[in-house]
Amino acid sequence: MGSIRFDHVDKVFGPNTGGIKALEDINLKIGEKEFVAIVGPSGCGKTTCLRMVAGFDAPSAGVVSVSGKPVTAPGPDRAVVFQQFALFPWKTVRENIELGLRNKNLPAGERADLVANALKLMNLESHAAAFPHQLSGGMQQRVAIARAYVLDPEVLLMDEPFGALDAQTRVVMQEELVRLARVNPRTVLFITHAVEEAVYLADRVAIMTRRPGRIKEVLDIRAIRQAENWDKHPRIEDVMDLESFVHLRTQIWKSLREEKGANVI
Amino acid sequence: MNGAPLSFRETVAWGTLGVVLFVGLWTLLTASGIVPRQFLPTPLDVIQRMLHLMTSPFAGATLPQHLASSFQRYAVGVLLAALVGVPLGLLMGWFRLLDDIVTPIFDGLRFIAPIAWVPFAALWFGTGIGGPVMIIFAGAFPPCLINAYRGARFVEPRLIEAARMLGTGNTRTILEILLPAATPSIVSGLRVSAGLGWQSLVGAELIVAAAGVGFMMVQAQANVATPTVMAGMIAIGIVGMIIDVLLRQGEGWLRRRRGLEA
Amino acid sequence: MLGRRTWIGLATVLAIVVTWFLLTTITGMVSGGRFPSPAEFWASFRQITGRGYAGGDLLQHALHSLKLVVMGFAVAIATGVPLGLWMGWSRKVEAAINPVFLVIRPIPPLAWIPLAILWLGLGDAAKIMVIWFSAFVPSVINSFTGVRTIDRPILEAARMLGTPRLRMVTEVIAPAAAPMIFTGLRLSLQASWTTLVAAELVGALVGVGFVLNMAQQDLYPGMILVGMVTVGVLGWGTTKLLAMAEQRALAWNVAARD
Repeated sequence: MGSIRFDHVDKVFGPNTGGIKALEDINLKIGEKEFVAIVGPSGCGKTTCLRMVAGFDAPSAGVVSVSGKPVTAPGPDRAVVFQQFALFPWKTVRENIELGLRNKNLPAGERADLVANALKLMNLESHAAAFPHQLSGGMQQRVAIARAYVLDPEVLLMDEPFGALDAQTRVVMQEELVRLARVNPRTVLFITHAVEEAVYLADRVAIMTRRPGRIKEVLDIRAIRQAENWDKHPRIEDVMDLESFVHLRTQIWKSLREEKGANVI
Repeated sequence: MNGAPLSFRETVAWGTLGVVLFVGLWTLLTASGIVPRQFLPTPLDVIQRMLHLMTSPFAGATLPQHLASSFQRYAVGVLLAALVGVPLGLLMGWFRLLDDIVTPIFDGLRFIAPIAWVPFAALWFGTGIGGPVMIIFAGAFPPCLINAYRGARFVEPRLIEAARMLGTGNTRTILEILLPAATPSIVSGLRVSAGLGWQSLVGAELIVAAAGVGFMMVQAQANVATPTVMAGMIAIGIVGMIIDVLLRQGEGWLRRRRGLEA
Repeated sequence: MLGRRTWIGLATVLAIVVTWFLLTTITGMVSGGRFPSPAEFWASFRQITGRGYAGGDLLQHALHSLKLVVMGFAVAIATGVPLGLWMGWSRKVEAAINPVFLVIRPIPPLAWIPLAILWLGLGDAAKIMVIWFSAFVPSVINSFTGVRTIDRPILEAARMLGTPRLRMVTEVIAPAAAPMIFTGLRLSLQASWTTLVAAELVGALVGVGFVLNMAQQDLYPGMILVGMVTVGVLGWGTTKLLAMAEQRALAWNVAARD
């Protein structure tokens, strides 16, 4: 299982043409099977953090490593769930999930078993032969999650995965993800601008500043979660009503708002 | 995509490589005699012939004279297409009945290649200016009609409603709301028309004309004067490009004025 | 139930036929030397389907033209689509080929006809060459644009899944660009017919364009009309076939479903 590490990471976009400093001295360690969410104002570079772990962007300075090895290129050991789902519209649900396994050159029998498991895990069995456009947004994102999970990746990278969904579907998917994390814990880096989502899902929440993005503080939620027994509540709205939840949420909001205020002046 | 956009330098470097390879291969094939010069002259031969044709006539006229007579027909044909196509398209976009009447006729004729009108064009209007003009018209007409129609048919309904609310009559609505609203679409249609018209002109002149660049090329082909054929191709290409660039500029200017593009 | 549009359409067609009949046959306002009457048209049709005209019957001419278009079109697809995909994929290839393209592209395909005849004569090879040239450009441009407009997340998802190079082309790039490629193919097909008819009008020994050419020289309006209708029917039929192929190939595409 994987761990993620950012070591003094800077990112400058367009270094040849003046350059915009997007990230400054990012340091963050994500341990094995830990779920870390990064929240921050839009444009703060939180997605860039994830893209560097995925291998889509390279840091301008510093090192991003996964399980001790510096990231050089994208690969199936770091599965990504995109905000826009990024399913292949010309492939059925089954084919979408299967592609990564074919790329790993697994034998057909083994592939079929793994795909069947993934379909079952995400309640997609009855849609295996459908094309993405025949599914709702929530269903499409289930397929994208199944496609990532089936690879058995070292780390799971989720880039505002529920950002494109309507509010109700979003809640269902959040609960689903908690269920999934319990059945099959993973190292997860989760990007979002929704504070509630971060508090509800994550073990730790990292708060980022405006550009150039820095990590302002990291809150550990595990202790409170356990002390207040959040996981006993099956529904997200019940958790959100708990005083401990409200308190944490307000704390993060304040932290983000200070950030905005400081920049307005 | 593979990688980031190339820098200006890299673009120039790769571009030069492409052109050098192309011209080099052409020169190599011809200068070495692998391909007989009669079939494929060297690039230099073609340029020399082009310069030569500037002053000395072939098939009855110099190259500029041929170009002038081609352009004359072309301008008449495209202008006619615009004058008939644009108003008809606008009216079709406004009056449903006209749309329902013209569309089936148009759809029936659409699949006949414009160049197939050549025999009737020659029969009806002769091979002087009338025949070729009709072919150009046949080529340039459809985009004029279609774009004016689309521009008028899919005009923002709020604009029409606003005009109605203000008590604007039919004629005024067409002239002052529909036409300006459809103008960007009409102009892109005209640009396409201009290109297709130029293409049809070449076809027409190859077959029925008694003057013009196309005629010059056919005569050159009959005389196995390959450099002249290629000089004609280049001249046609250059003029076509100039027409396209000018119309693009006009279109860009119009779109900027309308605030459609930065 | 037929809609209002269909009724008006049918009425229009009927009106045209009646007017045609009126002008040419009853009043004689349009002389047979300019435009054929329905009877003359029918007689010409009978002649070319029976006895034959211009060295063959209608089916022979039509099939010959169809064969040339299909062959030229096929060569254009086989060369143009891969080149466009390659240019879309590699910025270097694009930069190298663009200037050459810039020079060749403004030359209308029909302008290649004299050169093709010089090189290859009046036979099939010259026609296939010009059809290839004319259908090539739309194939390249649209395939290129198709690759360049693929959503970035789609490509990133494929890379994230560790997709190897060849599979990237066959299972990601090509299908993602397919809707645009088909747009290019439609334009290519149109260009193919235009070019073929022009090439056959300039010089041929058989084919629909040759029928038109002979009819023009024989001042035979009935046969001209038969030739034009044949061109239209062939163009319509091949376009429909292509549209059917597109629907099959792009069953997954929302935009192509209606």
